Amino acid sequence: MLLKLALKRIAGNGWRSVFNILILFLVLMGMLFIQGMYDGWMRTARRQKEEWEIGAGHFEHSNYDKYDSFTFKDSFAKIPDHIQELIRQNEVVPILVFSGVLYPQGRMTPISIKGIPWDQALLKIPSQMLRVKDEYPGSLPTVIGQDMARTNGLSQGDLVSMRFKDARGVFNAYDIEIVKVMATPVSSIDESQVWIDFTVLNSLVALQNSATLFILKDEATQLNLGSNWRYISQKKSLEDVLAMMKADQAGGYVVIALLLFLAMIAIFDTQILAVFKRRKEIGTLIALGMTRRQIIRLFTYEGCLYMVFGTILTAILGLPLFIHLGTKGIPLPQELSNLNVGGFSETMKSYYDPLTILFMLIMVFVLTLFASWLPAAKIARMKATQALRGKV
Amino acid sequence: MKKILSILLPILLFAGTICAITAEEILAKVDENMNAGTVKSTARMIVETRRATRTMSSVSYAKGTDTAFTEYTAPAREKGTKMLKIKDDLWLYNPSTDRVIQISGNMLKQSVMGSDLSYEDFMEEIELAEAYIATMLEDKIYDERRCYVLDLMAKTENLAYSRRVIYVDKERMVPLYQELYAKSGKKLKTMRLSKVTKIKGRWYPLQVVFKDELKSGNGTTMIIDEISFDIDIPDHYFTKAVLRK
Repeated sequence: MLLKLALKRIAGNGWRSVFNILILFLVLMGMLFIQGMYDGWMRTARRQKEEWEIGAGHFEHSNYDKYDSFTFKDSFAKIPDHIQELIRQNEVVPILVFSGVLYPQGRMTPISIKGIPWDQALLKIPSQMLRVKDEYPGSLPTVIGQDMARTNGLSQGDLVSMRFKDARGVFNAYDIEIVKVMATPVSSIDESQVWIDFTVLNSLVALQNSATLFILKDEATQLNLGSNWRYISQKKSLEDVLAMMKADQAGGYVVIALLLFLAMIAIFDTQILAVFKRRKEIGTLIALGMTRRQIIRLFTYEGCLYMVFGTILTAILGLPLFIHLGTKGIPLPQELSNLNVGGFSETMKSYYDPLTILFMLIMVFVLTLFASWLPAAKIARMKATQALRGKV
Repeated sequence: MKKILSILLPILLFAGTICAITAEEILAKVDENMNAGTVKSTARMIVETRRATRTMSSVSYAKGTDTAFTEYTAPAREKGTKMLKIKDDLWLYNPSTDRVIQISGNMLKQSVMGSDLSYEDFMEEIELAEAYIATMLEDKIYDERRCYVLDLMAKTENLAYSRRVIYVDKERMVPLYQELYAKSGKKLKTMRLSKVTKIKGRWYPLQVVFKDELKSGNGTTMIIDEISFDIDIPDHYFTKAVLRK
């Protein structure tokens, strides 16, 4: 009976009810959109890092510090025999890292030279282009990222000199040919980096079958490489990216909080107004024997029904939009995708985690419940005679 | 006549052999001229770039091939910048930040104040006779001077430049031109040495033009205005404490 009465009241409220439902709809849409975009961004960034750089985890030489190129000259060791077999099965990709200098347009620019097997298929780096067919080619085929190409004014087909010191400290120099400018969304394999074939780099730096990193296809649970190597899990590798995103997400939470606050103010105001307008009706209901609890429940039902209608409207109108955002995504302007921020690609797709959606609905529901209960709790305390006389 | 010739020819040939200088001896003489126990010099470094020409003045102190200290005295922007090399370590003091930093890793590969010299080049001080096996090539005239041309190949596998070609003034035993090669055979750097002057019994070039052959531009000129050899230099010039003084 109370639910019926609440429905009648909502219908009787006319435009006020429509506005309430619309506000709740907009709040839910806004919250889901913001959260969906952040979740989508994080998932994309994680996937891109996995596909282009870190795999399911990796081993690095114990001397290696990716932020300190001074360590590169001591950060390699012979590939252990049991890893060799995994490399053949494409379960592991070895990478050798050295530092050098590139001379684009006759300028000097410090670089990291990375050797990756041309026949690997684990990472998305277009390593097939690095294959050296002649024994002594005039120039070495190399791949660079779009950011590296842009900052140094390089493009596909360019020839440029590269100088480096080998493992014994002897200067060596070669002309390299940019055979491919890869459009990678992962800046950490792009900026100031030149990719060449693993075996070629080994021979250039007077090494044999040595590596700095081992990228793994599956998480290393049983693999033991000895004390020379340190295992870095995917989670650990992603820490920096996720921390940056979480910091940015804090701004999104502020917007969500503001939206929620506005919605609650709207519902609270509507309920206060309804209580004020309906004080005689409430008095009559009390005089007819309705208990305090029933009065509160009536108004709370009203608030909850707003929420239900808002959710239904969001489902009807929002679902196609969210499906579109999740499958097709939002095209980003070239300037933004050029920023080379993890997860930023040409189109940004959102992702909706069922648990997150449920959590948001529950949060809005609880707050709506509270905003509806508060004025009703106050009116339910008055006496029937006062209510009948309109003295609230 | 035949008899006289048969006696004289071997004698002449033997005399020629004992008088001919070997490549190793040339290198030893070059080292003698170019290296000293201690050196103090005042020099200017002229860097020519596409946009402008900059001149930097400095005072340097060196002891053997392992230790060296340089303080820049001009222009105002570089004044007070100091560089200290002790064996394989290089430190730089910047007065504007009042900080001493160790130049390492990729930084060693960077150019020194926009010049054709990298910090790594500052670290390269070796005695040629000790480090290289020399082969004599055909003599050449360079800068109107008769020169021995030596092809130097590194004795060990850990020398920065595995090959050098050096033109040595026959009369003064000073290098006038050098080419430095990468292991691949690519020419990396050239040095043109001139204004050879006799200072305290040794010939010494007071002007050097360094050219990074992979880099565009006209190279970097180093002009030595004053130089003194084998003088007393206090040890504190070669400690890190001197950088902040």
